[in-house]
Amino acid sequence: MRNVLSTVCVLALASSATAQDDAGPWVIRADRVYTAAGEVFEGGFVAVANGKIVGVGPGGGGAGDELEAVCVTPGMVDLGARVVTHPDAVEQSTEVAASMRVAHALDLFDPRWKRELESGVTTVLATPPDSNVIGGLCIAVKTGGLTDVASRTVRADVALRGSFGTQPSQGNQSSSGTPQTFYVRRPTTRMGVEWTIRKAFYDALAGAQDPERDFEGADVLRRVLDGELVLGAQAWSTQDIRTAIYVKEEFGIERMFVDAAAEAWKEPDLLVRSGMAVVLPPLSFDGRVGPENAFFSWHSARELDELGVPFALSGHGAADPAARLAYQGGLAMRGGLSLEAALAAVTLAPARMIGIDDRVGSLEVGKDADLLLWSGTPFQPTSRIIGVMLDGRLVVDRREASE
Amino acid sequence: MNMKKHSLIAALATILLAPSVPAQSGNLVIEAGRIITQADGEIADGVIVIENGRIAAIGPADSTERPWDAPVVGGEDLVAFPGFVEAHTFRGMDRPNESIDVAAFLDIRDSIDPVSFFFENSVRNGITTLGVQQGNSCVVGGQGMVVRPVGMTVEQMMVRQPFGLKLSAAPKSGKSRTTQAQALRKAFADLREYLETLVQDERDESGKARREALFQGRDVDEEENQGRAMTGLAWTVDGLDIVPRGGVDQKERPLLQLVEGRWDAFFYCGAPMDVHLALEVARDNGFLHRTTLVLDDSCWKAAEIIAEAGVSVVLDNDMIHIERDPRTGDEIETFVPAVFQERGVRFALSSSNDTNRSLWYQAAFATGQGLDRRDALDAVTVVPAEILGLGDRVGRLEAGYDGNVVLFSGDPLDVSSWVEHVIIEGVHVYDRSEDVRIQHLHEGVDPRKSRGTSAALRSER
Repeated sequence: MRNVLSTVCVLALASSATAQDDAGPWVIRADRVYTAAGEVFEGGFVAVANGKIVGVGPGGGGAGDELEAVCVTPGMVDLGARVVTHPDAVEQSTEVAASMRVAHALDLFDPRWKRELESGVTTVLATPPDSNVIGGLCIAVKTGGLTDVASRTVRADVALRGSFGTQPSQGNQSSSGTPQTFYVRRPTTRMGVEWTIRKAFYDALAGAQDPERDFEGADVLRRVLDGELVLGAQAWSTQDIRTAIYVKEEFGIERMFVDAAAEAWKEPDLLVRSGMAVVLPPLSFDGRVGPENAFFSWHSARELDELGVPFALSGHGAADPAARLAYQGGLAMRGGLSLEAALAAVTLAPARMIGIDDRVGSLEVGKDADLLLWSGTPFQPTSRIIGVMLDGRLVVDRREASE
Repeated sequence: MNMKKHSLIAALATILLAPSVPAQSGNLVIEAGRIITQADGEIADGVIVIENGRIAAIGPADSTERPWDAPVVGGEDLVAFPGFVEAHTFRGMDRPNESIDVAAFLDIRDSIDPVSFFFENSVRNGITTLGVQQGNSCVVGGQGMVVRPVGMTVEQMMVRQPFGLKLSAAPKSGKSRTTQAQALRKAFADLREYLETLVQDERDESGKARREALFQGRDVDEEENQGRAMTGLAWTVDGLDIVPRGGVDQKERPLLQLVEGRWDAFFYCGAPMDVHLALEVARDNGFLHRTTLVLDDSCWKAAEIIAEAGVSVVLDNDMIHIERDPRTGDEIETFVPAVFQERGVRFALSSSNDTNRSLWYQAAFATGQGLDRRDALDAVTVVPAEILGLGDRVGRLEAGYDGNVVLFSGDPLDVSSWVEHVIIEGVHVYDRSEDVRIQHLHEGVDPRKSRGTSAALRSER
């Protein structure tokens, strides 16, 4: 800890010369600093300079403009924020669009970015809308900053998006009696979707043996099979989660998570056996969620936590302020999850799932200075986020209004 | 004749006085590690003694006398809180909206479904009193009532019946704003015309009013059915004292009650512009002092004129109003309760159509957004109780009040707290450990097997 503190002083001094407007350096003091890396500092501080965390610990330390809060946590990470929803972001010519990049379809002028940022989500995984079986490459981006994708990128091509269930086949037509359009060759059933995803991986394997059978995007699929790339696939219901697990095991896919896995609680054995990670959708009062009307029991997060299954929570870009990610943490606690586990499920756990935990997800020296200032205990509905810091800049400041 | 009348009154009195929560005596002792009274602060390690459905005594356990034979509910790890009060809802009915524009003669008593999930969920969330009114799509709706969310029949649910009349300043489906305003004013003009005709008929000695009374089965000799002068604040019809009240058509009676200031109005406003119309109609017809506005979240913009009018309001379950700036595309969020708080308007929070955000959550969320904790708690207990005219019966834990108590596993506003027990008028109506439906929803226990969690099923495989 002494080392950390001395580093703080050196860096803080070095950066003070270049300090400008709201970019710091900052020292944030709080009754409790939740690092999400396993430590909670009572009466702690976080020191920030040049957009990075330069010190964190108990007691004083650090130099710069002072900020105060009851609690401080890392900025939240949402793998299921669904920031891209526009229909023209869907590639219509093929069901397997592995080489497409959703980065090219990001609309940074959409108000939902600000919505996410103001509710404490500082990093999202931008995924293609689930109208293709394999929708393309996802990008991890910050929710604020300049309106160009390059400056907001945490890491490009961090995951490949897939989708099980009925959603990719919705709107597709069977060939009988209708004119030939390209919709016709798309799957129209749940089993057709499964077949398409398996065929894609088999074809990619065959393409590696025989260059004549290779196709565009096959190299991306092979990177998934080689364990270089994460596969994140939507699967709400038990049958789709099973399918995802069987695909993972059949092809030996090392790094994979199921997104919106509402019914993950129903067959935990399979999850444990396969090493599958889980992203949970937002809770509903009657337990019924999503396009599949899946049954999402409130104890799901607690159950996954007890079983040691890596899991994250997500907000699905809710327009309602009381349904966003910060409140999902609270609802998971209502289902029996501890505060520490709820915090991990919206910060470090999702960051790890897509391999960006060297940049974001916890309050540790060297990581991006993305952090939240709370008026009380995180995730309680009686608490509020009174400040959001993104890359060392205080981009949301509600301290005045809360006093 | 006289005998008959007396026995009728006696029978009526029995019905009115008998506690309608059936079968149990309403005697109970509640123990709690902490009692939040909403009256005189908090009591540590307290007891609440309920006799005949009412709170007989409340105080610290060591200094409060308790009957030796009453059953005991509670424990030192539980927190007692008054049952939540929902000032206005239109759920729990078959269909909440009537197609007739002016339907004040209808009674939602005929539409309430006692076994609907809405009432079941209300109990689960600790709501013990609800004001049920017709839906918002109306000009003048039917008569509402105050219920407790338990009982197999409407009669068992009744707390106050009839209570309240729904009016809407927002266009009923199929109407424009102008036709809505016209229809509202016409409803009262029609009443006036009807009453004037009645007086004229009586002067002409047509005997029409008496025949009407006979036809509707009303005895014009009874005090409430005798003729008396009209007492409207805004307007009156001269000579109404010569018309027996029993002869006023049933269809017109509720509106007349409203104009005479004997009835409560729940006036819905779907946009800030509707507030003007609602206040004007209420003022012009003399029932502003008995009006509660039921507001859409956008109506915070009319807070100033609402404050001037001095009426209470029931807020929408969306407490944050979101507006999109057409020029910049930015979303502007306004926390609605704070606006009314600043203006000194008395407001009740509501969970209106969303059991996911029941009253405990609404109060917690409002506290998080900056409302004082006590004000937020009042807005789901004391204030709605006053709006329902039950300020001396529910919303507080105090001797003499109804024995409506919720026992939480922790602080009522903590996200991890659960409603463990609900007591309505001294009857223990809910115990979470026996709630099969919540065990399914929250623990994954299949209600059809009611054995084991998914963990138990796992070990069987």
